[in-house]
Amino acid sequence: MELVRSLGSWAMGAAMAISATLALPLNASGAARAATPAADLLITGAKPDQLFIIDAATRSIRTEYHLAGANGQIFTIVTSPDQRIAYLLVDKMERILGIELATGREVFRADLSAPDERVKDFFALTVTPDGKELIAYELPTRLKPSEYIVEEPRFAVFRTDAGLAAKPVRSYPAPRRIHMLLMRPNGSTFYALGFDLYEYDVKTGKLLDTRGIQKWALADHSQPDLLAFWPVTEPTGVFTSPVYSELKKDDKGVPMTALMSLNLKSGELAYADFEPLSALIFSTVLSPDRSHAYGVYTTLTSVDMAGHRLEKRVPLDHTFYAVNVSTDGREIYVGGTNCDVGFYDAKTLAKNAILKLPGCSDQTLSTLRVIHDH
Amino acid sequence: MSIGLAKYWKLVVSALVIGMGGHAAAAPAVPGQELVRTYCSGCHRENSGSFERISAIRKTPEGWVMTLFRMRQVHGLVLEDAVHDSIVRYLADTQGLAPSESAAGRFALERRPNAQDMDLGPEISVMCGRCHSIARAALQRRDEEEWRKLAHTHVGQWTSIEYSASGRDRPWWQIASGPLPAKLAALYPLSTTAWTDWKALPARDLTGNWVVSGHMPGGKDFFGKARIDREEGGGYKAAYQLTDVTDFEFAGESKALVYTGYEWRGSAQVRDRSWREVYALSEDGNRLSGRWFDSEHAEEGGEWTAIREGGAAEVLALFPQSLRAGSTTLVTMVGNGLASTRGAPASFGDTAKVTVVQNEANRVRVLVKLAANATPGMRKVSTGGATGKVAVYTQIDQIDVVPAYAIARLGGGKAAPVAAQFEAMASTRLPNGELLPLGPMTADWTSIPFDAEAKRTEDFKYAGHFDARGRFLPSAAGPNPAREFSGDNVGNLTVVARATDGSRSVEGRGHLVVTVQRWITPPIY
Ligand code: HEC
Ligand code: HEC
Repeated sequence: MELVRSLGSWAMGAAMAISATLALPLNASGAARAATPAADLLITGAKPDQLFIIDAATRSIRTEYHLAGANGQIFTIVTSPDQRIAYLLVDKMERILGIELATGREVFRADLSAPDERVKDFFALTVTPDGKELIAYELPTRLKPSEYIVEEPRFAVFRTDAGLAAKPVRSYPAPRRIHMLLMRPNGSTFYALGFDLYEYDVKTGKLLDTRGIQKWALADHSQPDLLAFWPVTEPTGVFTSPVYSELKKDDKGVPMTALMSLNLKSGELAYADFEPLSALIFSTVLSPDRSHAYGVYTTLTSVDMAGHRLEKRVPLDHTFYAVNVSTDGREIYVGGTNCDVGFYDAKTLAKNAILKLPGCSDQTLSTLRVIHDH
Repeated sequence: MSIGLAKYWKLVVSALVIGMGGHAAAAPAVPGQELVRTYCSGCHRENSGSFERISAIRKTPEGWVMTLFRMRQVHGLVLEDAVHDSIVRYLADTQGLAPSESAAGRFALERRPNAQDMDLGPEISVMCGRCHSIARAALQRRDEEEWRKLAHTHVGQWTSIEYSASGRDRPWWQIASGPLPAKLAALYPLSTTAWTDWKALPARDLTGNWVVSGHMPGGKDFFGKARIDREEGGGYKAAYQLTDVTDFEFAGESKALVYTGYEWRGSAQVRDRSWREVYALSEDGNRLSGRWFDSEHAEEGGEWTAIREGGAAEVLALFPQSLRAGSTTLVTMVGNGLASTRGAPASFGDTAKVTVVQNEANRVRVLVKLAANATPGMRKVSTGGATGKVAVYTQIDQIDVVPAYAIARLGGGKAAPVAAQFEAMASTRLPNGELLPLGPMTADWTSIPFDAEAKRTEDFKYAGHFDARGRFLPSAAGPNPAREFSGDNVGNLTVVARATDGSRSVEGRGHLVVTVQRWITPPIY
């Protein structure tokens, strides 16, 4: 067992006590919300080995695990469909851990690298809807005594019940430069985001479809730029991301920010500019009613989806990378860097509360996920 | 001190200089090839005297140090420092670059701040010039296969290279491993006649007396003598007797190694400061020139030129570089064969009255009284057997801030701040419309917002300040609660230099970006 502290131990009480002083409700609405708790739990990681489960309603740490297998940093976090297990990309992107959220027990481990082959997974990770298989994106390098040999990337499929020394049951060729995998609810295909949006068959690895990112067809636009790390599709099943490009206008390029949305169920892919670039946005999330997207970086931005326009923008205390939204749509969660998780009002973008993580270590590029309290 | 300067640079220094403790002197007297066999052949297989990869690349001393740093840091090579130094010497001597091959990239070896990188066209600029200088590549020689292996090393070691900005907009790997290696091999091939010719030349002995001239940006230029002698272990020691333009005398000493027959790497102690010296010996062995800089702040430093004493008559330097019509100025000339004689008097041309104040073969000082109607322009100067040039002007018409664009870095944590040194370079407009450079002038230095955004965020308040020498000293790094988004003390500034010329004042402008710390300062940026 890898965890150092677990739920129900003395650590729990201690964490609660700390968070009670560190969670700062900033206004009446923040205080009021505590009385009508939404059942959201947030999951985030922090250096070098911390996994936090946060009770959103009370702005408090419910659980803090130290994962001996993390080795430095927790990157992508995806959960099993039943939300009992979190799969974490850790250890310089060379290891995937499965952690049972209720106990902190390590139930799955796949070491991607071997002594003569170093394998990194650049953020891309997904789990099938039945929870039985996990797909990772592998960038292998053969380590010869006096040289490195870059090998072709591949998708590697693991069985989630393979235990703590999991080896892939299948693998098949993949394009270079993939940074995200998104399972489709049908369970038979998944998307891979890279130069373009590719769709693959889970069983055979056959490439079924390629659609535009670089090949997108918006008239008069330069090559678009999209780099997204976190496969956040809760609560809508729609993945969104900012996309940057230049609109050609009288011989000049006007930098524009667009929002890309991909409906995993229907496969509908849409892009639309919503503003001439005026603030960078690192990542976005779609509101439950799909009326708004919220984006973060140095500002918190809300985008009116129907009108394709910037609705509101407020400064944040510092840079945030990751964003998510409450299941009821009333609150926005921000994280992904530094040691605080912020709670913002989805309508007014006002700050409701800030929760400092115990130990104050950096969440560097960890996914901020929302699951439901069972 | 940054990680780079504290750790990385220390390794470089110990490797490139025998100064501290005399590493090389203590090194075992084992031939270099034997050391490579002992320490490297476990991973780099030997094939009839040549070692996989190692024997297929030529690099500068700094290039070899960087590679060995990686061998130790990443691949777990264990190497005593003395052996490390001997291997660097052996490899730089036997697999180095000829002077003509390293010329274009010397600015990187000399660690010149704000230097313009080499231009090898848009493709290579973006492919290879966005993380480090193009010079880092241009200071190596390989065949196509070895350039390709370097692409493998990059992607194998730095996964994000294909994902970061200016990498993800193109099939980075496909280009780097496909057509690019052949292009690099055409530009920088392993086998060249420049190298075979250079290797065939006998090694020069630097022992002897040298005449020195130095420029310190924003500071006081200096001149004097150097005595260079052999040291045990194959290096050199130098003793400096220097004088600055205000007549202040100071001494210094240096210990140095000469790699590849011409690459002088010294560690000097001058006026309580420790300097690094990165100089190149000319092909004829009679001129040693390059840049010296503070051992902890590479951006602080200046030019150095030394010529052998007793060589052909030559004005090495003349201070100041320009004279105002109607003024009387004390001018110092240093060089060889300068002594003014009846047959070859010191002359500053028409309308210049010259009084010799000091008259030696290597140093002549004269009072030059220029008539008010002296013609502006560049004029010839002669003394003894040597000739030089000086600019004459009636007024300063233009001030150029040099560099026109500079970067300074905030200090904080383990990273030392990186200052930006500017100079106010004056020129006068000649009647024919041409601008005549007059050299650096003293100026008042201030900074103002570069644009509306910088004005709004009040960068000038936070980013740092100028000293009297035209040196911008940046602030400390870290989130500043007084700033928007608790921002860092970064800034986008216009630099204003105001020089007074009689009752007039002339202004020049430059651009300064104050940005965040740089954590790693490798020997070749
Ligand atoms: C433990 C194994 C190991 C040892 C010992 C070792 N190397 Fe290496 N070396 C490597 C590997 C692996 C690479 C390829 C990856 C890289 O360049 O970092 C490499 C690459 C190189 C390269 C090519 C780098 C380039 O410029 O592209 C040179 C040159 C080199 N080594 C020199 C040496 C020398 C000299 C020694 C002995 C002092 C040495 N190595 C000892 C493992 C080793
Ligand atoms: C994403 C950043 C990045 C890009 C792009 C990049 N490099 Fe590098 N390069 C590095 C780093 C990091 C090192 C390692 C420095 C060290 O060993 O400490 C390096 C080292 C090198 C070295 C020294 C290696 C040695 O052992 O002597 C050379 C030469 C070089 N790069 C050439 C290139 C060329 C050619 C290209 C274009 C094809 C390129 N680089 C593109 C980051 C980059």
